[in-house]
Amino acid sequence: MNMAQLITTYNEAVYDTDRDKAIKVIRDAVNNRVSPEEIIFQVIIPAIEQTINHIREDEELSLAQHFMTAQIASDVIEEMLARFETAPKVMGRVVIGTSYGDLHALGKRIVTGCLRARLIEVTDLGVNVSPERFVDEAVAHNAEVIGISSMMIHTARGENGCLKVRQILKERGLDHIKLVVGGAPYRFNPELYKIVQADGWARDGITASRVIADLIAEVKK
Amino acid sequence: MITGLERLMAAIKGEACDRVPVFCNLLDQGAKELGISLEEYYSNGEYVAEAQLKMREKYGHDNVWSLFYVGKEAELLGCKRILFAKDGPPNVEDFVIKSCDDIHKLEIPDDLSAHPAFEEGLKCLRILREEVGGKYPICAYATASMSLPALLMGMDKWMELLFMGPPAECSELLAKCHDFFVKEMFAYRKAGVDVLVYSNPFGSTDIVPRKYFMEHSLPWIEKDIKAVGTQGIVYYCGMAKFNPVIDIVLERTGIGVYYLSPFDDIRKGKETIAGRGLTCGVINDIELIDWSKEEIRHEVKRMMDAGMPGGKFLFGTGVMPYCIPEQNIRTMLEAAYEFGSYEMKMERLHD
Repeated sequence: MNMAQLITTYNEAVYDTDRDKAIKVIRDAVNNRVSPEEIIFQVIIPAIEQTINHIREDEELSLAQHFMTAQIASDVIEEMLARFETAPKVMGRVVIGTSYGDLHALGKRIVTGCLRARLIEVTDLGVNVSPERFVDEAVAHNAEVIGISSMMIHTARGENGCLKVRQILKERGLDHIKLVVGGAPYRFNPELYKIVQADGWARDGITASRVIADLIAEVKK
Repeated sequence: MITGLERLMAAIKGEACDRVPVFCNLLDQGAKELGISLEEYYSNGEYVAEAQLKMREKYGHDNVWSLFYVGKEAELLGCKRILFAKDGPPNVEDFVIKSCDDIHKLEIPDDLSAHPAFEEGLKCLRILREEVGGKYPICAYATASMSLPALLMGMDKWMELLFMGPPAECSELLAKCHDFFVKEMFAYRKAGVDVLVYSNPFGSTDIVPRKYFMEHSLPWIEKDIKAVGTQGIVYYCGMAKFNPVIDIVLERTGIGVYYLSPFDDIRKGKETIAGRGLTCGVINDIELIDWSKEEIRHEVKRMMDAGMPGGKFLFGTGVMPYCIPEQNIRTMLEAAYEFGSYEMKMERLHD
């Protein structure tokens, strides 16, 4: 099986929400002398990119398929990294959490899984995160990007959401740190990310990983 | 004077009426109406009933709600902590299920009506029934078997259990949630509810792939509806799209009312339902927060133009965010009454 076939077979299992089958495809490839590095850089990351293109150009995948894409990719990466002789280069650093007053964890979990698959170091701050903590943790972890997930409109645009994080970044002269938002309210109003003064947003967690990767590249330029 | 219930019944039967029925789902706004905090507001069923009646009088829409907040169902199943905000819906703060063991321990109360967490809801329902029963549809909300676990353990943990197992615990939880759903529906009917919103995000192909829907979601939907019957039931997927599954749901369950997503094409929805039920077009009430007067009127007109031909259409909102300016609510409703008027439509046709 060549790499293109491997990606197709792997993604078919993922879209079928069949974790066992997807993992088997990867393990079989490793047994057939595909290296862990090739699995990450030539299978998993391209598979995620293919999924993003699929979402954008064709029809949307369901939330369950997004969840499984992230979950399986994250599991595969963990398994492959354990086989690396030396730790691979970290592509960037992100702190992520759910906005203050918001207890919904699914969106950030999808983003986190896809970011880890791209070898981006993620610090998950959990749910109900205060604006001050977002900034403090971003500084402590030397993060290029802060990701804020909100499932409800009042936590997305309220006074303790992204707007406050932006204000603190400005006050502390940390404008180089980028702000990315996501979650249901942003899907209902694609202009909302501008209202809350974020640098970017994505309609879904998988695409968010590309938006964040692009912003990291921009910061590192 | 035509009542909201008469409008709704006329729309369901496809009979002539003055205008399209308008369901405006104002929940948290009740606290603003009474000038109290959301936490105080939701502590007393009399407050909720009073505000529902006041808001219906003030805006003139066609329904009232007995729903406090969605997390109430989790409270009935043992949740002890709800996080209240000053400007948005209360949230489940402490999940009832944190491990597989908790699934085994989960107990479904025999008589929900006797449960303390149901008491204030019943108080609210009694007042609504006394004041507007038989005139304006009284709505209640119940989460489907397949979606209820998300309230008990969080959406991410539920997806994990659903797609990665263990399957035995997953089945056990679904069976318990079904038991709860059936008891809740009968308790609401006994209390005089007219409209029962069957909320099921997992009944949408936005949430699960179609194959999974057919193999897993649909059988649970059939089981739920078979147990409670279709009387007063509204199919709703929590603002997720479901046009692609309307036909099969209608065929398998006989549910007669479909409350679409703002992202569903109203014309397509009506085409699929094809006179077999009521189509409810739903406005994007997140955009409603920032729309101008002209934008609101344009959107309402667009929806009415799509939904009104052939009748059997209702105009609705999602759960309206607390921060929508009152003026925008008024503009939306005035536009709905104007563009939703069958008499005006006839006049325009004659002109």
